[in-house]
Amino acid sequence: MQILRRSALAIALTAASAALPSIAAAAPAPNPGGELVPATASQVLEAVRAPGARAVLVNVWATWCLPCRAEMPDLLRLRRTYADRGLRVILVSGDFSSDAPDAAAFLHEQGVDFPTYIKKGGDMEFINAFDPQWSGTLPASFIYDGQGHLRFALHGAGSYEQFEEKVRSVLE
Amino acid sequence: MRMPTLTTLVLATALAASASALQIGSSAPQRDVKMRSVDGRELSITEIAGPKGTLVIFTCNHCPWAKAWETRIAELGNSYQQRGIGVIAINANDPSSHAEDGYDEMVKRAKERGFAFPYVVDAGSTVARAFGAERTPEAFVFDASGKLVYHGTIDDNADDAAQVKQHYLGDALEAVATGKPVTTAETKALGCSIKYYGS
Repeated sequence: MQILRRSALAIALTAASAALPSIAAAAPAPNPGGELVPATASQVLEAVRAPGARAVLVNVWATWCLPCRAEMPDLLRLRRTYADRGLRVILVSGDFSSDAPDAAAFLHEQGVDFPTYIKKGGDMEFINAFDPQWSGTLPASFIYDGQGHLRFALHGAGSYEQFEEKVRSVLE
Repeated sequence: MRMPTLTTLVLATALAASASALQIGSSAPQRDVKMRSVDGRELSITEIAGPKGTLVIFTCNHCPWAKAWETRIAELGNSYQQRGIGVIAINANDPSSHAEDGYDEMVKRAKERGFAFPYVVDAGSTVARAFGAERTPEAFVFDASGKLVYHGTIDDNADDAAQVKQHYLGDALEAVATGKPVTTAETKALGCSIKYYGS
């Protein structure tokens, strides 16, 4: 899935790590393909609308959010199960830029081997671009159909069954 | 953004809780409750209220949002206290949830950040519950007559002070300090959920 050019990805990741020379324990290198890319909500929504998916689930999480971490394995399992039926899963970390290494380390541990995003830009712009009804609470998941229309917004944690039911209703 | 035919499944807590938040125009609830400050004094909102108005800000030590905004909270609190607005920072978090939210850590943090205003413990989260506060940080600004005129977040970019375009809390405090109306009365309070005692 080419969302941004490879050169831009390299620059973004280099910039993120170059800003933090004093971090004692550097995050391990991402799993191949698992870059963490700074992105605004507009850029994430472009990725939502990129052709090729029949359903898109955007999950906004953060390392300091325990329910976010707890539901990540379920989201990744959902992705593996439904990828060949056209499900695209887009993960967006709401961590601050100074915590990008922690976010990258968590994704590494989870075996994430596809590009994911870390929020950049204003907070209200970001929140309102996904859902003006959203208070910004994490985790949050937004499920879009293949035309990029928002079909479901979950403000809070979800179970595997809840995610699966909503994704299946969009795929069918 | 266009959002045609949106079906929203809301998992209850965020919107349901916001219905109980203090309404604009209300007075501060539980304003005579004494809370232990980092300097050992027992203080209530009534006691610290200023002649021009009062800022009550729920915050804590551990939350990354509170930490990101802490310097700005200190600057705003310190400068507006000098201009006649009473300021109190309240930690309503149960430290058994995060040890970093304990009293000793509060003492250290207030000193590190140079808080010239009280940083107090809301034991039992009594005051936070009465305010309907849910997040750290979450700001409530009262005018000279004790009416709530602003409720919400600090500004529009927690991560990077240099990128802030909307100084929500700063603008509200300036309006109150100069006796003018607050133009943006409510914003979404962004931050970690308050770790209430007994929850």
